[in-house]
Amino acid sequence: MIDKFDVVIIGSGAGGAPIARQLVEKGKSVLVLEKGPLLRPSYQVPGERSDFRRDEVYASGTEKILRVPGVANVGESYYSSHAEPDINDEPHVYRGVKKLPDGSEVPADYATIEGYTAQLVGGGTQLYGGVSLRFTPTDLRLKSFNAGRRTPLQDDPNGDALAGVRDWPVTYDELEPYYALAEELVGINGQTKNQVKPFRTGPGGTPGPGPSDYCYQRPLDPNPISAFAHAGMVALGQRLPGNIEPYRPPLAVITEDHAPSGRRLPRAKNGQPDREAAKTSYVNRYGDPLGLKSNTWVSLLSPLEGNPNFTLRPNCVVTHLTSTEGRVSRVHYFDPGGVRRTVEGKLVVVACSAVESVRLLMLSGQEDPAFATRINSSGLLGRYFLTHCFGGARALVPGRYDKSKALDADWATDCCGTDEFLEANGLWAGAAIYNNTSDQALPLSLFRTHGSTDLDTLWKGFMYKPQMRANGFINFLDYEFGRGLSVSFMANQVPQRDNRVELHPTVKDKWGRPVAYVLKTWHPHDVYLMKLMADQCAEILRLGVASSHPTYDIASDYDLNRKYDRNNEYGGSLGSGGVYQAENALARMANHILGGARFGTDPTDSVLDPNCRAWEFDNLYVTDGSFMPTSGGANPTLTIQANALRVAAHLLKRL
Amino acid sequence: MVRIHEPGSEYVLNFCTKHLGRSGDPPPPDDENATATFRGQIAEAWRFPIIGLVREKDVGPKADDLNLVTFVYKSRSGDQSPVSVLGTFASLCEPLPLKPVLFEGEDTGYRSVSVTVPKGELHTYKFLVQGNYYPDPINPQRVRFGNGRVWSRFFTDEYLQPLILELWELRLLYRLVEQILPFRTAEAENFLQRHYFSLDKGQKVTQMAKAFRLDDSVGEVNAIDKLLAREEAHRLVDYRVCLKQIDRALRALNPYTDPYLIPAEQYIELYNSMAASRPGDGSVPGWDYAAYDNPAFFIYLLRRHAVSTAFSHPKYAGNVGAAGWAYLSERYADKAGATLFDWEPALEKPLGTSEYYR
Ligand SMILES: Cc1cc2nc3c(=O)[nH]c(=O)nc-3n(C[C@H](O)[C@H](O)[C@H](O)COP(=O)(O)OP(=O)(O)OC[C@H]3O[C@@H](n4cnc5c(N)ncnc54)[C@H](O)[C@@H]3O)c2cc1C
Repeated sequence: MIDKFDVVIIGSGAGGAPIARQLVEKGKSVLVLEKGPLLRPSYQVPGERSDFRRDEVYASGTEKILRVPGVANVGESYYSSHAEPDINDEPHVYRGVKKLPDGSEVPADYATIEGYTAQLVGGGTQLYGGVSLRFTPTDLRLKSFNAGRRTPLQDDPNGDALAGVRDWPVTYDELEPYYALAEELVGINGQTKNQVKPFRTGPGGTPGPGPSDYCYQRPLDPNPISAFAHAGMVALGQRLPGNIEPYRPPLAVITEDHAPSGRRLPRAKNGQPDREAAKTSYVNRYGDPLGLKSNTWVSLLSPLEGNPNFTLRPNCVVTHLTSTEGRVSRVHYFDPGGVRRTVEGKLVVVACSAVESVRLLMLSGQEDPAFATRINSSGLLGRYFLTHCFGGARALVPGRYDKSKALDADWATDCCGTDEFLEANGLWAGAAIYNNTSDQALPLSLFRTHGSTDLDTLWKGFMYKPQMRANGFINFLDYEFGRGLSVSFMANQVPQRDNRVELHPTVKDKWGRPVAYVLKTWHPHDVYLMKLMADQCAEILRLGVASSHPTYDIASDYDLNRKYDRNNEYGGSLGSGGVYQAENALARMANHILGGARFGTDPTDSVLDPNCRAWEFDNLYVTDGSFMPTSGGANPTLTIQANALRVAAHLLKRL
Repeated sequence: MVRIHEPGSEYVLNFCTKHLGRSGDPPPPDDENATATFRGQIAEAWRFPIIGLVREKDVGPKADDLNLVTFVYKSRSGDQSPVSVLGTFASLCEPLPLKPVLFEGEDTGYRSVSVTVPKGELHTYKFLVQGNYYPDPINPQRVRFGNGRVWSRFFTDEYLQPLILELWELRLLYRLVEQILPFRTAEAENFLQRHYFSLDKGQKVTQMAKAFRLDDSVGEVNAIDKLLAREEAHRLVDYRVCLKQIDRALRALNPYTDPYLIPAEQYIELYNSMAASRPGDGSVPGWDYAAYDNPAFFIYLLRRHAVSTAFSHPKYAGNVGAAGWAYLSERYADKAGATLFDWEPALEKPLGTSEYYR
């Protein structure tokens, strides 16, 4: 088995794969070590049967019982998919609060599935919804923006909201060509018009738009239910500074043949490409059996297969790194049979997704005190851990629609991300807003997520409504089915020093190694921001429905005892909120796992240098979401990919 | 003649590593206690043997009717002792040898063999290791025969016979589940009859037979039985204990009738009183709270199981002939009559109509 490479990359998701792609193309020898399996889309399987299934049970799993000793939710049910780690084997633990029978609250540790993305070749990009937004220029310079702000921040009682905020050591302008490159290589459909982010670079690095829209492929027609979201976004935009209009959100799904990866759309009987083939609502949380969703395996890595300088070792978990004198000398891993092995790389890239990358670096430090001193010379490893402020609104809209033919989102707006909006509302940072189309489209997802929105509480809302049965069940379906529309926001979370990832003092994984321990809270300003943004989302639904149905009562609630006739129109049960309100609000991460090893220009104030190199190591880079000093007002993956491409350009200069 | 397939090491490792790839050695095959401990530590041990899909390239259009069953034995890397599998899916006089699963050309310690087995079948098997027969140390599904011998068991997709619940339990369950799902309203019954009637002839023979066995609306009770046999075997005890209590409670409500035949109103009465009960409050007449203190929890469990089986992929043996989905797609249509739940284009043939996904 070969054990020396130019570059060893740990993790094959958004942070790792782009680097492998660029370096292999340039003839460097690259090894990618990936903990999870290599599941292929059908066109790569002889006989054309993929291990991804359009099967709601397979995708979300049957019930399992939590058995992790010492956590407060032992004995609870959980559901995890075939593409996630098992949390009995390898939990993430977070510090939450436990309500005692007398109503008082005490801190307690809980095991959670939040904090994992997905464990397979392609990482989180296999399951993601594919919303691939750029961050705004302001997102990358929030410290400077706030230093120059004209209006005071709201809800910052201790005046500390901005203490942990840093500008990124790269500007939007520097990142822009890499955004374009990521969009081109990954394969994204969407629309640039009306986005407040500047687009400058086209395909192949040429200036200006390409044959379609800069580096985007053409979007598909939206699902008809999304017309309400569109109308609402238009109306909201008109009321806010700048009259900003909505756009078709960039989605990592190909809608045309994709030259960079060689992927082709399936051909219909008449020989024509079937652009609609991916529109099935088996999207978010589903691996795509057709490989049209642009995960990093199909878009970036699989085109390298067969290349003699590219090696992928799936089912291999890296346990630690060892170093001599500021150089990582060996990468230690278990092979698929559990045998310990090591490899060497001139350069080593860690991209395990933020929580697991921080953990891997800390575990390496436990094995080797010199490593520990170097990796944590700033004292910040694991600190400034981030996710997003997220939430939104949901309502039932007039009429009924076939939601089973949808991608993840149809419309987005940047009207709550402009500097004027932030000034006007005393906000430190903005949000992207988009509507979800595929959510609750399929029957089990409708039942399973009824009254619960996160992975730790699936099924609870439905199970605990025993009155909803027989005719009552039909009544519920008549009221709900094909009518739900939700609008979400994704916003920056205030970086706080004490929001952090540590090694848990007692809980161990199946190999006996300490698991990750997540400690985080929401800042009062986060809560303010989430309320405000949730209100904007609710406003979008309200305005969107009112524009065509002025008498529709969007606020009226479902009444278990009332008979709903499926051919009539009833009210909309409008609800809105932010994640801080959830029972397990401290655990929630929206699958957006960021920070913990932020990059910067000052070695005493950051873990990584501007090229994502660990300050005191010559050859150690970290390129998953952990590098981010602030989490951006949009879903993070495209930015992780763009940054990884930027780092790849730097690495090429070194090899 | 059983047919052996070579799906390749990548395929086998993809299924094995997460579940079996922990450090440490597998136990000696004759150490029952160590084997039980080993199995207890495996996440989702029920996934073994691997019941997978058959590639059309290998068997032609029959692929839809077959599963690829992969037996896995965990040994030590480099251990040369032969392992084979003997089972009712092949000739019982001819154990099939397992081969080493390789990673980058090196032995991983896993041994495996893959065979095709028709869907809808139940089989028992044992491993032959160092000259002795043992049940599969990984797979928790086992059967003890009259002679006291223990064999491992597996079933393929769409297996439609009751497996672990007894007839009286199934009958009670059927009556309870029909109080939850929408299929026992007159309108829905009418729909189901039309649905099964409209299937084409080939489908009718298989699907009707499936659907009306047990007089079970869309096969959900049968699918619950499968869930309790495999994925959610940890819930079997809830069913065993509670169905006994339900039988007692129904007899308390109506001492003169076989519980299975008691009118629906009394099932509903029981359902409601169970749902309203608080742990240990003794509020359900006839229910022994010392045996199971939270009847409401069983209602929650049953609700989840009822809807998951009635509306999930028919391979799990509920939603037979996709009747649950068809019910929704007929019920919700636009003014022109076009369905608002058009599930077929996304799914594989012959169940759905996708030209690309199989
Ligand atoms: C259901 C879902 C929906 C989402 N939707 C969106 C969306 O619409 N838009 C968006 O921008 N983002 C979305 N995300 C988030 C997105 O998936 C992540 O932001 C992204 O994948 C993170 O990239 P990463 O490189 O940090 O980690 P990943 O892409 O997760 O890659 C990390 C990889 O490292 C592997 N690994 C971990 N530890 C080890 C180890 N010790 N040894 C070897 N390998 C290891 C993991 O198995 C994994 O494959 C979604 C995520 C989920 C789960």
